[in-house]
Amino acid sequence: MSQVTFRIYRFETGKDASPRYQEYKLALQEGDTLLNCLNTIRDTQDGTLAYRMSCGSAICGSCAMRANGHALLACKTQASSLVKNGVIQLDPLGNFPVIRDLVVDLEPFWASLRKVSPWLQPNLADEPVRERLQTPAQFHLIDDVTTCILCASCWSDCNVLEVDKKFLGPATLAKAHRFIFDTRDAKGQERMERIAEPNGVWDCTHCGECSTRCPTETKPLARIEETREAVMKAGITNSPGARHALGFRESMRWFGALNENYLPIRSMGFFNIPGILGVMPVGIRMMLKRKAPPILPHWIDKVGEVRRIFKRFHELRKNNGGTGAKTDGDD
Amino acid sequence: MALQYAFYTGCVAKGAGRELLTSTNLVCKKLGIELFEMEDAACCGAGVGGEDNVMVSDTINARTFALAEERGMDIMNICVTCQGVHKKAQARLAKEPEYMARVNEVLKSETGRVYKGQAKIRHFAKILIEDYGLDKLKAQVVKPLGELKAAAFYGCYSVRPHEYSDFKNPDDPDEMERILEAIGAKTVSYPGRLKCCGFPIIMMNKQNSLTMSGSVIRSAKESGADCLVTQCPLCHLNMDAYQPEIDDTLRMPVVHIQQLIGLALGYTAEQLGMNTHIVSASGALASI
Amino acid sequence: MLSHDVVIVGSGLAGLRAALEVVGHLDVAVITKVYPSRSHSGAAQGGVAAAMANVDGDSTDAHIYDTVKGADFIGDQDAIEIMCNDAPHVIVDMERLGCPFSRTGENKIAQRAFGGHSFKRSCYSADRTGHALLHTLFEQSMKKGGKLQFYNEYYLMRLIVEENICRGVVAMDMKTGKLEVFHAKSVMFGTGGYGRAYKITSNAYANTGDGISAAYRAGVPLQDMEFVQFHPTGLYQHGLLLSEAARGEGGYILNGNNERFMANYAPSKLELAPRDIVSRSEQTEIIQGRGAGPKKDYVLLDLRHLGKEKILERLPQIYHIAKDFIGVDALEKPVPIQPTAHYSMGGIPADNDCQVVANERGDLVKGFFAAGECSCISVHGANRLGTNSLLEALVFGTRAGKKILEKTTEAKWAPVNESREISAARREIDQILHNKGTESLAAIREELQTTMTDKVGVYRGKDDMEAAHEKIRELQDRFRNVKVDNKKSVFNTNLTEALELGHMLEYSELIVAGAQTRQESRGAHARNDFPDRDDKEWMKHTMAFRTDDGGYELKYRPVRVTRFQPEERKY
Repeated sequence: MSQVTFRIYRFETGKDASPRYQEYKLALQEGDTLLNCLNTIRDTQDGTLAYRMSCGSAICGSCAMRANGHALLACKTQASSLVKNGVIQLDPLGNFPVIRDLVVDLEPFWASLRKVSPWLQPNLADEPVRERLQTPAQFHLIDDVTTCILCASCWSDCNVLEVDKKFLGPATLAKAHRFIFDTRDAKGQERMERIAEPNGVWDCTHCGECSTRCPTETKPLARIEETREAVMKAGITNSPGARHALGFRESMRWFGALNENYLPIRSMGFFNIPGILGVMPVGIRMMLKRKAPPILPHWIDKVGEVRRIFKRFHELRKNNGGTGAKTDGDD
Repeated sequence: MALQYAFYTGCVAKGAGRELLTSTNLVCKKLGIELFEMEDAACCGAGVGGEDNVMVSDTINARTFALAEERGMDIMNICVTCQGVHKKAQARLAKEPEYMARVNEVLKSETGRVYKGQAKIRHFAKILIEDYGLDKLKAQVVKPLGELKAAAFYGCYSVRPHEYSDFKNPDDPDEMERILEAIGAKTVSYPGRLKCCGFPIIMMNKQNSLTMSGSVIRSAKESGADCLVTQCPLCHLNMDAYQPEIDDTLRMPVVHIQQLIGLALGYTAEQLGMNTHIVSASGALASI
Repeated sequence: MLSHDVVIVGSGLAGLRAALEVVGHLDVAVITKVYPSRSHSGAAQGGVAAAMANVDGDSTDAHIYDTVKGADFIGDQDAIEIMCNDAPHVIVDMERLGCPFSRTGENKIAQRAFGGHSFKRSCYSADRTGHALLHTLFEQSMKKGGKLQFYNEYYLMRLIVEENICRGVVAMDMKTGKLEVFHAKSVMFGTGGYGRAYKITSNAYANTGDGISAAYRAGVPLQDMEFVQFHPTGLYQHGLLLSEAARGEGGYILNGNNERFMANYAPSKLELAPRDIVSRSEQTEIIQGRGAGPKKDYVLLDLRHLGKEKILERLPQIYHIAKDFIGVDALEKPVPIQPTAHYSMGGIPADNDCQVVANERGDLVKGFFAAGECSCISVHGANRLGTNSLLEALVFGTRAGKKILEKTTEAKWAPVNESREISAARREIDQILHNKGTESLAAIREELQTTMTDKVGVYRGKDDMEAAHEKIRELQDRFRNVKVDNKKSVFNTNLTEALELGHMLEYSELIVAGAQTRQESRGAHARNDFPDRDDKEWMKHTMAFRTDDGGYELKYRPVRVTRFQPEERKY
């Protein structure tokens, strides 16, 4: 029954110029979830405190907020696990305008979702009379991603969205994955082309915040990684991200190591003069400090083993009839 | 018996961040930690090399793990990206035995090696704290860092996803700070500490990438730090080499944690390659 | 004043499904007090019933009989026939719209056992079937773009019915506090149930039954309110739902002596007896001192023998809920459970096309429709079978949409007096915000919920119900002096909670009154003083009418029996 101070963000849009923090003291009861505590505070100390909640069982996503700087669902988190020096600090979700206290304006989130046509687009020509068939393994491909509850915890803590609101964002990319990997959908190629464009799947830094905050099995970063693999296998490689990945792999294959002189140029595209010029200043700076990578590339010992592994996979792919376009260089 | 590790340098420490390799070697030598550089290990792929086919990079990394197993040593990483990629590859292989068997089949037939699933993958900071011990490190310090206010920058893959993190409390780690305090430095807490440096998208979206590193640097500066301290050469590159492009007036030195340890152990800044940084660290070091 | 041909209140399965029938043909808007993906349909876990016969020799007739029997013979059999006949079609329809379903080895939609169903009939998506269905409909509604207008986080204030013609609703934009009249030719409610009247409940905080009492206040009767389902596997002290799939997959229920006590109550079906029977059995064990734990006030759900793989693959949500909410690892220990208020069989009476019924004679309210849990059609009678609720919402949501399309196309606009409606809503708000009282909102709500769980719960005694009735009247009085701290307009949840409490106090009295008057035990309504079913007197639906002085009057309406005469209900 320890006494805890809840330090809670207070703000009312249209009225307050800037937010403030208000402190509430509460004796934690064993088993108290964070949402129980908020309800107790609101019921017994301050009815003006605003936050969202609904199901109370981690399936609706309403009570997503930030505790000690990280997004989570208040209903499924034991309050005792959050106490740091006797304090729990609560903030609204990040990357959203705040309406009041812990309530944010979710419109940007829904607007982003709509950009990836988040509905099944089957091949209408072969509609069976009964349900379409899908193997358990095919269902398994979308099992994790369809646990998404659209709570926006991932959106809140995404490092890229923090600097660029045009980024599609983790939940939206996961939603795109959900249809790309659904064997009943017929628009996979279009969907992949859409998210391979700027602000899409290649703009993610894999910082891992989304998967870490995700309260379900959706784990957006894992889905983004799977999507990138699918995009490349489908031959959609005309983007700096895809070229970067291919260049990286070519470098791995030939040197066993990364060739830092070759990769930037490969990523920009050999004929992308402005892009290449864009990476030159940093190169020059590094040269002046004797920091630039050696001009002669470095080969690892026994590089032949690595080349053989690559070759083997290349053959596997050829024998499989090629899952998508050829991405294996020119050997 | 001396501590011994299969030393996985990563590519950047052999290329654009050679001062990291130099300082790591010097520090370990002074502390009596024996490093066996894995000259035959391939690039981890940085999560990028396997983007069109994860199994390829998992196989390449399984080879690296097998090489460590052959040596009978844990792997020591000095790059948070390599560390994260290794951990993830290892987790994928451990999760599905059938997948691991397929990877091993290729590995065996092409290289004669087999990954047994035993190699331990650890980052420098973890080794220093757990195997070597901070009390012992403290005892080796000849030149405490005195007034230097250091801002530890963790790097994404050292703390996220949590299940791959080496650190006890990845949402609020203190391992880097404990090392820095052991060598006598002061540490500052600042909002950018666990953020992304933006490096992975420097080629894809330079503007976003540099806005991200810029905001980390500013956040450290506003908290009164003399320098940023990294444990990943990629974070270092994005915050040091690109800093003049972000904002030429920032002038926030960015150093590898090994370099500060080296200074405390008595090496000179030049020996540790600190003169190769784009943003000069000499001002910050003057406060020591 | 906003105006749409059709206004649907509630964005759960019933509301969205109906909207999709209408959109493209008529101007339709959906009003919800949350966001569509957060509607409580999403919390349904175990499955949706349909005699697909994908895994065994199921038939629609068997489904019909099981449902009639489960309902303890007070369900309307023509409606049940419609629901069960349509079931395979709506499942195929949802699959085509993209719903991810778990699959059989033959790649068909997988089906599993559920309480009261005599075949493996529950189509499922792991243990998040409601979530999968709801998100599928939400996706389809996004596909409609601007044609389907959503008013998210709008709180329903009033239903406008004059001269037996429904003309629209009044709602408050929670983000600004602004009141709006929505003028409509047709209004449909898919506003959910009233489980929040209970302390121990599996229901969302949002399930305060606002729609049900808004209809009641507008002069619409409410039917069979006394039938409240208690789910046997609520998480101890929280009431959170642990899906019946736990029993469907073979979970045991044990008492404090580690006995599978269901053998004494339903020897052939055991744990897979219908919910009312299992809940009563649990309560009996607890009352007779065979509960588990230090206070012997719960029983145990044991999954351990199912093995790690099955638990994590088929019942992951249950595993996580037990772990996150009370720290019990279901792989290693049995989970403490107790009956929890779960489903409202009663609600707004409607015909088989979801047209709301105005009186005991069956006359209709023009332009007003209801489907899903807020409605009482009545396919569940005195006790709903698990997985029939998602089915009901889909089948009758679809039917409501079709009927709305037909009726609205030929309907004319009936006038609305906007300023009068806004003033009426404003008065209700002002009474809450600006009375001079000091009564605590939280205390009144807590006393109501505790009263309902303790005195109008699994077993109902005469004295308990009398005390509950008296208590509710006292609380209704105190509510007139409720004190609300927050007087502001922007996202004032303090105000909306007070409005919700007003609804709860209003219809809770009807739950008690219906239960007091119904002198028999049937389905979920179990009286200590009348332990048997009385088909001679009570084969009829209760209908509660609001009187002009704010009181109520109970009348009755016959049950529609087609094929199955009442018989003893044994499992």
